[in-house]
Amino acid sequence: MVQKQRQDAAINALRMIPTKWAVIIVVALIGYVLLQPQLNKWFGLSLPSVASLVGDEKQTSQKKQEKPNSNEKTSTTKADSNASKAATEEKSDKDDSVNKAPTSQPQDSQPRDSQPQVSQPQVSDPTIGAERDSEKVHGFLTEVGRNRFESPAGLVYGPGSEEGHRLKHIERHLEDQPKRPGSHGVFEGDMHAFLVAIDDAYSRAKSGDKGTKKIQDEGSTIYEASFKKPIGFLGGQEGGRKRNPPLKQLRIVVRGNSLITAFPF
Amino acid sequence: MNSQDSKIIYVESCPICGDGLCRIRICISNQKVTGFILCDECEAMWTDPFMHERVPTNADETDPQCPSCRQSIWGKNMHWANIGEICLLGWFDHVQMVEE
Repeated sequence: MVQKQRQDAAINALRMIPTKWAVIIVVALIGYVLLQPQLNKWFGLSLPSVASLVGDEKQTSQKKQEKPNSNEKTSTTKADSNASKAATEEKSDKDDSVNKAPTSQPQDSQPRDSQPQVSQPQVSDPTIGAERDSEKVHGFLTEVGRNRFESPAGLVYGPGSEEGHRLKHIERHLEDQPKRPGSHGVFEGDMHAFLVAIDDAYSRAKSGDKGTKKIQDEGSTIYEASFKKPIGFLGGQEGGRKRNPPLKQLRIVVRGNSLITAFPF
Repeated sequence: MNSQDSKIIYVESCPICGDGLCRIRICISNQKVTGFILCDECEAMWTDPFMHERVPTNADETDPQCPSCRQSIWGKNMHWANIGEICLLGWFDHVQMVEE
């Protein structure tokens, strides 16, 4: 109804404009329709589309939003189900706590008022560039065997640890455990971002890049790598005592090429 | 649920990884109870709570093995020690407890 009134008003306004100007306006409008996407693309502009100007903006943007969300949901579901499946199969003799463990999304079970405002992880270019691949586990890992997943850098996440699977184990570092004695490094971001950061740190440390360290210890290797910006914060009882300072380093423990654990420190 | 189950019993923070807790792992196999210290984060192992002697592990092992039965430390015959078992091992003076 409102749209009809708008159209009538527009037609009335056009009748008042001389024919010559009306033609120019129509030509300009057609030109804009054709060139708007290209101009946005070439010059990085965000010129509104004619649809959005006319009033279809809501529908168009809704359609655009629906697509990535549904993809992400698929990816997360697959990743979670794979990790859960892995944990379930390995730990079928244990209780259900593994399956009920938090999903890949960090859960803020504790009020975070006391925690510092840590920026979202900006873990250098590889992190930013790494897009979620819906075909992969957590959008990043390729299944290479039964319950075994490999990262692009060659780190293998397989069965093991108290949680039944290494992916479940490192998931503990996506949220704080304020009652846990000592330190508990918490990564700020979701599982995908964590895996990307681990891979980035592992690659750099393995190559002996600046700001990295490699320590051999009784069959395992400990890699440490610094990041330019905070990737998380110090949690646990010690973190709480120190008012959860931001952390800019990542420690990775591997045995061979199998990941044992990884956490910010 | 036993009240002990909601407690973390540990010796100290892990001197290797700095993030884990060195806890007492119990192996029961062939009617023999063995205790050893295991970091719940990096899986470093020691023979006792004095933590002077490390239990060697191999790089090709996915899971480290129990020093007694040579099975995975996360196997069916393994669990975290409760207070009773810690007392039996004579290690009570070495541990601290905290609600989980």
